[in-house]
Amino acid sequence: MDQALINLLIFVALIILGWISYKFFGSREFLQGKLKRQKTLTEDILKQLYHVEESNRKPTLDHLAGALQLKRKKILLVVEQMTTSGLVSLNDNTITLTDEGRLYALRIVRVHRLWEKYLAEQTGHQPKDWHNLAEKMEHMLDEKETQRLESSLGNPMFDPHGDPIPNESGEVNPVVWTPLPSYAIGSPGKIIHIEDEPEVIYRQLLDKKIFVGSHIKVLKTDNNEVSFVCEGVEHQFSTIVAANIHVAELSENEMFEEHAVRLSALEYGETAEVIGLSEECRGASRRRLLDLGILPGTSIEVDLKSPLKDPVAYRVRNTSIALRKTMSDLILINKN
Amino acid sequence: MEKKDKNSIVDLASELRWKIGDNFHDKLTESLYTDASEIASQAIEMPGNERNYSLDRKIDRIVTSKRFGFPIMLGILALILWLTISGANVPSGLLFTLLIEITYPALKSLSESIGLIWWLDGLLIDGIYMAVAWVVSVMLPPMAIFFPLFTLLEDFGYLPRVAFNLDSLFRRAGAHGKQALTMSMGWGCNAAGVVATRIIDSPRERLIAIITNNFSLCNGRWPTQILIATIFIGSLVPSSFSGTVTSLSVIAIALLGVGFMFLTSWLLSRTVLKGEVSTFTLELPPYRPPRFWQTIYTSLIDRTLIVLWRAVLFAAPAGAVIWLVSNIHLGEITLANQLIEWINPFGLFLGLNGVILLAYIIAIPANEIIIPTILMLTVANLKLAGIGAGEGVMFELDSTLDTANILKAGGWTVLTGINLMLFSLLHNPCSTTIYTIYKETKSAKWTTVASILPVIMGFVVCFLVTQFWHLFA
Repeated sequence: MDQALINLLIFVALIILGWISYKFFGSREFLQGKLKRQKTLTEDILKQLYHVEESNRKPTLDHLAGALQLKRKKILLVVEQMTTSGLVSLNDNTITLTDEGRLYALRIVRVHRLWEKYLAEQTGHQPKDWHNLAEKMEHMLDEKETQRLESSLGNPMFDPHGDPIPNESGEVNPVVWTPLPSYAIGSPGKIIHIEDEPEVIYRQLLDKKIFVGSHIKVLKTDNNEVSFVCEGVEHQFSTIVAANIHVAELSENEMFEEHAVRLSALEYGETAEVIGLSEECRGASRRRLLDLGILPGTSIEVDLKSPLKDPVAYRVRNTSIALRKTMSDLILINKN
Repeated sequence: MEKKDKNSIVDLASELRWKIGDNFHDKLTESLYTDASEIASQAIEMPGNERNYSLDRKIDRIVTSKRFGFPIMLGILALILWLTISGANVPSGLLFTLLIEITYPALKSLSESIGLIWWLDGLLIDGIYMAVAWVVSVMLPPMAIFFPLFTLLEDFGYLPRVAFNLDSLFRRAGAHGKQALTMSMGWGCNAAGVVATRIIDSPRERLIAIITNNFSLCNGRWPTQILIATIFIGSLVPSSFSGTVTSLSVIAIALLGVGFMFLTSWLLSRTVLKGEVSTFTLELPPYRPPRFWQTIYTSLIDRTLIVLWRAVLFAAPAGAVIWLVSNIHLGEITLANQLIEWINPFGLFLGLNGVILLAYIIAIPANEIIIPTILMLTVANLKLAGIGAGEGVMFELDSTLDTANILKAGGWTVLTGINLMLFSLLHNPCSTTIYTIYKETKSAKWTTVASILPVIMGFVVCFLVTQFWHLFA
């Protein structure tokens, strides 16, 4: 009996040990050489500086230490090295990117956004994981591989969050957008960008199924809250959260779909006409839906609901096709 | 001048690119599809099938209803399994009599009359012929009943509705509703279940279905479960209940398999398979009367015979190995006994024994020959006189009591029995299935995962059960 207890304890200890070593050795930093760690840190600092400068603020050491969650001393050490190699210049406490530094930073941003695009289009990774995976990958691709990636993705201009992707020579087309809380009440607009940092807010937006590309109309704005209609659903967000949604006016050749709702809102006995697929519907799923003939103008109705409610079978072009809610949320329809 | 022209063209191109916008490709594909469907609708005339549709709808409303959906499904499943297990007994017995009780002695006397060398006679007849004959007689009848029944349901159009009903459960485990079908197919044969995953058109979910198919207790394992449950669990209760308790414990093992299938699917979809592409659409085709003879024919050819052929290919060399390990002597003792001696401590530590582990290694081609191999190895290991058919010759006994006596003489306890039932559920797929997984995935990595993962689980589960048993018993 004692032996059994000891065996069990050893087993539990082994599991804990395995878990710890996975956490410890699994983190890439431990496996990297010192040189590589240095490179990663340099690139992270450059990127951080670039983002801060883009938002017209003056980056300081404290700021960097806070953003990268590292000790001030360690950052200072790296920044000094970067100064000698001509990537940044350090005055008092503020750090500025040199032209060379900015170009380097843009290269990192470029890989990051291209990789996010790749993850969205060609893998099954969840949106909440895109950013962190791209954070790792951005230090790993060289210019040639980046170019190959770009052309294999069909030279995209925006990442899945709506951020513009810098081109090879480091040019970025500026995009004009307005944070949702300051967008004009009552005028139609389109979500063109959703900020993916901080993660807490981004996840909240993902949970509410707010997608880039959706048409919206602001109903009411005050100091604390913004309410708006998006694809037939009324949303209310606090100003802080809503400020992470960026909106622009529709272009000339786009029509505002005032009465558009998501297919998931269709009920038994109702018929509807498909308007199109949401921009959020990507890669294999998009192709599959097109293959099935879910195209603008197609009429569609609910055929059957499964006993556990999800999926729902829809009748399209004389066939019955079952879709999960995650898919039917990405199809826009006009109810007849 | 020329250079300037070139530059201005490039500039114009990049300016236009930004003007056209990013979803230009998507819009283009969409309009191509729209045009294509418009042309098609003008060119093709659809015969009106409204009447059929309303009948379909009536059937669908019943088989996918909240009240009747699940009972109908379980009823049909139970019926198929019952037909398979009880219906296979008679033809299995006939084949066994023909191949093993009649042909085997005939072959033996033939080889004696032409004076075949003893080891060639042993290797060919006792080893290879025996294993192949055994696999054919136990494997063929259940598959020849199960697959046609399943294919008939498929042809009728009912199976997609099962996937539709159950998808919600599978979605939560990160799997596809159609995995319910490949899982059920696995109850017939895992190799066929793995082939059946072709119906899952999403890469991630298909891999999950392939890797977890082994958790469906296949035809080859049901008899083992029933035998061991009768001997070790049914005997724990008064004889009037033993039949019921035996059945319930076997069903519990099968349900445990379903539990492990869900758990493993959930783990896989959230870890190693996280990045694989995933999409879900499920077509519910119209019902139609099944084409009876055609279905029987194709299911026999496509499923039963192909699987059987692969099993025979693997059983033949395994039969040779089984005979060889029992007949090659290392000094005083046979190779088999030497191996058993080596792995016995590890086996006992897990609550199994060396004979069981060796049987699972050398009888990898088919779960059907596990029990005969165990019996043969036990008798040879204990040097029991007068039982069995000789060194390296698999056998089975008509009487459950005799089988129980041999196993108990081999040191089996209730714990060994329970652990064998668990290990029979949680161990590597048979070599036919492993080969099929490789054929289907074309990936050594996923084949390895699918083969190793269940064994590790089996070791851990047996280990834990054993330790807790010792702790409380």
